Amino acid sequence: MARLRLPVLLVLVALVTMTPFAVMVLVAFAPPGGRTLPGAFDLTRATWENFSAVLSGADVTRWAANSLVYSLVSVVLILLFSSMAGYAFAKKRFPGREVLFWSFLATLMVPFQATLIPYFVLVSRLGGVDTYWGLIVPTLANSQAVFLMRQFIAQLPDELFEAAKIDGASEWRIYTTVVLPLITPVLATLGVFVFLWHWNDFLWPLVIGQSSAMRTLTVGLATLEGENVAVNQVMAGATITVLPCLLVFGLLQRYLTDSIATTGLKS
Amino acid sequence: MTAGTAGERTAPTPEPVAVPGPPLPAGRPARPVRRREARVGLLFVAPMLLLFVVFRFGPTIGAAFLSLTDYRLSGDWRFIGAENYARLLQDDLFWSSLGVTALYTLFFVPLTVGLSLGTALLLHRTVWLRGFFRGVFFLPYVTSIVLAAVIWKWIYDVEDGLLNAVLGVLSLGPVDFLGDERLVLPAIAATSAWKGFGYSMLILLAGLQSIPREVTEAAVIDGATGWRRLRWVTLPLLRPVLFFVLVIEAIGAFQVFDAMYVMTAGGPVRASYPLVYFLYDTGFKFFDFGYASALGLVLFLVVLVFSLIQRRLIGRDE
Repeated sequence: MARLRLPVLLVLVALVTMTPFAVMVLVAFAPPGGRTLPGAFDLTRATWENFSAVLSGADVTRWAANSLVYSLVSVVLILLFSSMAGYAFAKKRFPGREVLFWSFLATLMVPFQATLIPYFVLVSRLGGVDTYWGLIVPTLANSQAVFLMRQFIAQLPDELFEAAKIDGASEWRIYTTVVLPLITPVLATLGVFVFLWHWNDFLWPLVIGQSSAMRTLTVGLATLEGENVAVNQVMAGATITVLPCLLVFGLLQRYLTDSIATTGLKS
Repeated sequence: MTAGTAGERTAPTPEPVAVPGPPLPAGRPARPVRRREARVGLLFVAPMLLLFVVFRFGPTIGAAFLSLTDYRLSGDWRFIGAENYARLLQDDLFWSSLGVTALYTLFFVPLTVGLSLGTALLLHRTVWLRGFFRGVFFLPYVTSIVLAAVIWKWIYDVEDGLLNAVLGVLSLGPVDFLGDERLVLPAIAATSAWKGFGYSMLILLAGLQSIPREVTEAAVIDGATGWRRLRWVTLPLLRPVLFFVLVIEAIGAFQVFDAMYVMTAGGPVRASYPLVYFLYDTGFKFFDFGYASALGLVLFLVVLVFSLIQRRLIGRDE
């Protein structure tokens, strides 16, 4: 009996953990109207009706496009700028290097919410409210990305860069043809995290995207909930929202879990 | 900190000759090469540096400045000194939001760390399908708190929700989880714990796996089994990691907002109206940016205290 206790407990906890996802999907496919339970568990009556209703009723496709723009553009730019900065911090000597690096890191101590107001005042004065650049650009200053890049690049042996330099390669060439290929694993890991952070981000897109057309999917889902949309449709919207996360998770689960254990990345 | 002496300058300068840097290894070509290296370094840092100056350092200083002003949406402002802080001390809503945040933290931290530790211990002792179960427990972490809130709001629903359906089968309830002043914070804490426990679980699991096998084997030979081995061998060795996780989760809990925004709008009667929600309303409903910035500074101070405690505790342990 004692030998069975562990797996039984494990399976039970796993089932409880999965239950919210399961009920989300069941309710999303349940026929609308009337009480949700226990009808939601009758799989023979499953219908796509809620999905078509939520897709036609709200700007869901527009929100999904905004989320993709916000997440993908941020991934590309953060990877580019943080790997450039990480390379300089790790391999180049220049005045103020240490002070700069530590002051980048120190910003981790300041919670985003604490500076939300000056952030918003600044971006709105620059005319960034309800624009894509206002949404994206302020979130690119990511100290965790710079830190991770510096740590990783610092471990690479100097000889790799020296050889290219002796061959007469320019610094930009060394960065694109030597540094970038060597750091592909860390680019992939960081890229996945940045994608998830931005896809799931809420407070900043909420305050900066003021018209419905500028909402991201996560903000849109919260407004659906607030606007008395039927629960089946909200769950259909939720299912759409979570799909990219599940896709990324399904493909890269090992990458994600291993890198948290070794680097402690956290949004 | 070899470059500490060179650290006074932060702006790119074309001729950083006079700046003493780290000693050069013998036999390397001297100044022109180093000057070039410094220029290249600064150029590569430049885009990120610009972003940090404008969007991190600027707003941080800006927060302190704004909190001393009466700043309106129109951009009109006047300097009012510490008036916002004086107002804060007299504001019942501020104290109630601070109390709600503290109480929420007290519910959330033990719940989420308990879940993380429990699942980490389970996984650590599992050989069979460990990767699969680790994935299952980690899955909620890759979703958003908004998603969790939307799902759990329905689970808690008093008329139609899953939990009350289960209670109904047991002839209990119905219970209005989100409408009851005493239940609303634990209910939201459970939602957030479900969403987030996978992160701390992975950190704790890595900690457990770094405990040398000989130590636990020696404990077994000494006759320590099960609960006693956990209490006297595993947990003491895990202490630094546990502290780290506790403080990280407490810092996260103090910034809670999204879950309340979606699930309760702060109700019933402000029973789930935390500090950041108050800050959000002050800024974006009443456009009282100066006062909202003062609230932001309070949040910063609380988080700073948590971080300092963490450094203290972890520093002492190692």
